[in-house]
Amino acid sequence: MSVIKYDICGQICPSTLLIALKEINDYSQQLMDGEVTLAFYTDNRDAVTTIPESAVNMGYKVNVTKKEKCYMIEISGGQK
Amino acid sequence: MIYEDEIRRLTSENEELQKKYETAIGYIRKKVDQLLTVMGTSPLKSEELDDKTLIGVDPIGIISNSFVQILKHLNRTNEKLKITNEEIKAIFESAGMGILVVDRDMRVVSYNPMLKEQFFADVSGVIGQPCYKTICNLKDHIEDCPFRKIFETGEHVQQVKWVINSRYYNVVGTPVKDDHGNITMAVLVYMDITERILAEEALRKSEERYRDLFENANDLIQCIGPDGSFLYVNRAWCETLGYSLEEVPDLTIFDIIHPECSECGSEFKNVVFGEKAGRVEAKFITRDGREIIVEGNISNILEGDRSVGTRGIFRDITEKRETDEKLLKAEKIESLGVLAGGIAHDFNNLLNAVIGNIDLALTFSNPDAEIHQRLVRAEKAALLAKDLTSQLLTFSKGGAPIKKVVSIVGLIRDSAGFAMRGANVGCEFSLPADLWRVEVDEGQISQVINNLVINAVQAMPEGGLVHVSAENIFVEGLNLQLIKEGEYVKITIKDEGVGISKENISRIFEPYFTTKQTGSGLGLATTYSIIRGHDGLIEVESNVGAGTAFYIYIPAIAGKVEGEDNIEKSRLPEAGRGKVLLMDDEEMIRETAGDMLKYMGYDVAFARDGHEAIHVYKKAMGSDCPFDVVIMDLTIPGGMGGKEAILRLLEIDPGVRAIVSSGYSSDPIMANHSQYGFAGVVAKPYKTKDLGEALKKIISEG
Repeated sequence: MSVIKYDICGQICPSTLLIALKEINDYSQQLMDGEVTLAFYTDNRDAVTTIPESAVNMGYKVNVTKKEKCYMIEISGGQK
Repeated sequence: MIYEDEIRRLTSENEELQKKYETAIGYIRKKVDQLLTVMGTSPLKSEELDDKTLIGVDPIGIISNSFVQILKHLNRTNEKLKITNEEIKAIFESAGMGILVVDRDMRVVSYNPMLKEQFFADVSGVIGQPCYKTICNLKDHIEDCPFRKIFETGEHVQQVKWVINSRYYNVVGTPVKDDHGNITMAVLVYMDITERILAEEALRKSEERYRDLFENANDLIQCIGPDGSFLYVNRAWCETLGYSLEEVPDLTIFDIIHPECSECGSEFKNVVFGEKAGRVEAKFITRDGREIIVEGNISNILEGDRSVGTRGIFRDITEKRETDEKLLKAEKIESLGVLAGGIAHDFNNLLNAVIGNIDLALTFSNPDAEIHQRLVRAEKAALLAKDLTSQLLTFSKGGAPIKKVVSIVGLIRDSAGFAMRGANVGCEFSLPADLWRVEVDEGQISQVINNLVINAVQAMPEGGLVHVSAENIFVEGLNLQLIKEGEYVKITIKDEGVGISKENISRIFEPYFTTKQTGSGLGLATTYSIIRGHDGLIEVESNVGAGTAFYIYIPAIAGKVEGEDNIEKSRLPEAGRGKVLLMDDEEMIRETAGDMLKYMGYDVAFARDGHEAIHVYKKAMGSDCPFDVVIMDLTIPGGMGGKEAILRLLEIDPGVRAIVSSGYSSDPIMANHSQYGFAGVVAKPYKTKDLGEALKKIISEG
């Protein structure tokens, strides 16, 4: 399984959410098949809520980790 | 001009298009903002994304694609929820427990079929009804209903053995919360445990019954593990073997098996290792070292096919075994007695002729003559022989006791005193004055006391003390197989002598068994026979070096002791007158007795059997000189004996006076002659004096 990292630090909502949604849409099949994990690095506090909520609503698993200067939001294959 | 118009037109058209573009961009931004708001984020700011980039990024497309995924996920989730709902519904409908859903007012919201069956099988319209009516069958709600607390505390509630309508339930109540965490309903699950409770109760009672049987059984019950340790034992086991329950875990079977019974231990081991179980007899040893004999069954305790120990049920047969041995000994002695009695009977007839002739010869001889002395010695020897046959007869039950009520105290004291004469031992009496009366043959009981005291004296060659005591006792339980329950006088004769060994003590009552150089072996055999003849019992206890004690039990009777009848008899035969008919099949008896009668002055006629006697008597009746007395032998081999002849004579002459005579006094006629029509009795062998006294008594009474 590969991990694709996105550094979206410095960006705020809603662009952070739109970027994340676009990447999730583009990789939806790979995510569902468990071939890829997307990792978004953001320093926007709102994004820590909006991105995970949207991803969960789409059926993906989400894991949020607090890093030194930002948050890492990991999105991986959900339930089919 | 043309260009100007065209420019104006185009400018106007451009402005129109610009307006439309701006309107379209505004619309897109508005829709994007709506979508972003739905997605839970903030609206798009124009400075973040210019119009051109907005078109390029296509946020509506992005969000639309995300909605597609969201919708797909929702569909999948809905499908799962539908399945889950079906599963829950199936569980709800088919659960073996009653499920009730109530609202905050404790009104029925829903229930499953099992709950209906449990509480309101034939009732409809339950939905919306309060549960205290439908479930608890009450008119009013219960203030402290435990399930109300679910709504107060939000915690689940459990009630164990909750009784509703005489049935038992385990009930669990769980709160149901809405999206806001408010408790709107409660689910109550009712598990009917009535059958289990009843089964547990039945099991408990059954266990109690078995425990009661187990603990109150008189038999010893034990279970032993493969290593010989006791898994459990019952009360009788503890009581018999003398161990407390606390001591049992420290014991093994090998602690209670007697060392002399090594094969018993092997039997237990063999059963554990798969050999066939069955009956066993074992010797156990109690906590205080006593030996007990047990018999019973041992069998395997199985777990599957594997033996995990043995169970044993035993009965203490120690006492029974001792009694059996005594009975066996009694039977042995009695069978020997029959043999001895037969010999004594024939011997008595011979002795009657010998003693009678010597007696007559002495009468006719000069006391100073040599022949007289010889005859005296011969008579002594013959009388000793008579004593011997007398003992044999007594032993063989031949000497049926001729009983009368006597003072046993005087009899014991006189007999013991007589036996003690010349001995170098002392005698200590303990004879209470209030001893019950006994009905005994004085001579025989005297002989018993005599024998036992002589034995006691002989057991103490270095001197010592003989203890003679008597007491009133009531016998019950212990020796009932040998004597009847009732009142007895117990006589104890105890010495401090050498004692009797374990090997000999079981044989001391056998005839001709003796450990003395000069003993006949008839003393204790006769003693035994006399006591049994009195429906009594004799027992012995002895320890080598510590002395011997004999215990005699004689049946007692109520009433006052009668005075003793001591008649001093004259040594010489009484002279008489009269006519005597003597019936005996033995010619030498007829001759000797005939000479005796003639010597005393009687006229004698003879008959060889009953028929001849009746004929002679009848004939004399019609003459001037009838018979005064008839003496008849009891037993005539092959002919009519005295028993039948007296009946015939009584028919002919109700006033006939007859004496019965026999050398074999086992027949009850000898002890109870008057009941059979005889006026007197004379036992063979008899001397002239004995015969004379019997005749004189009858003639004088007549």
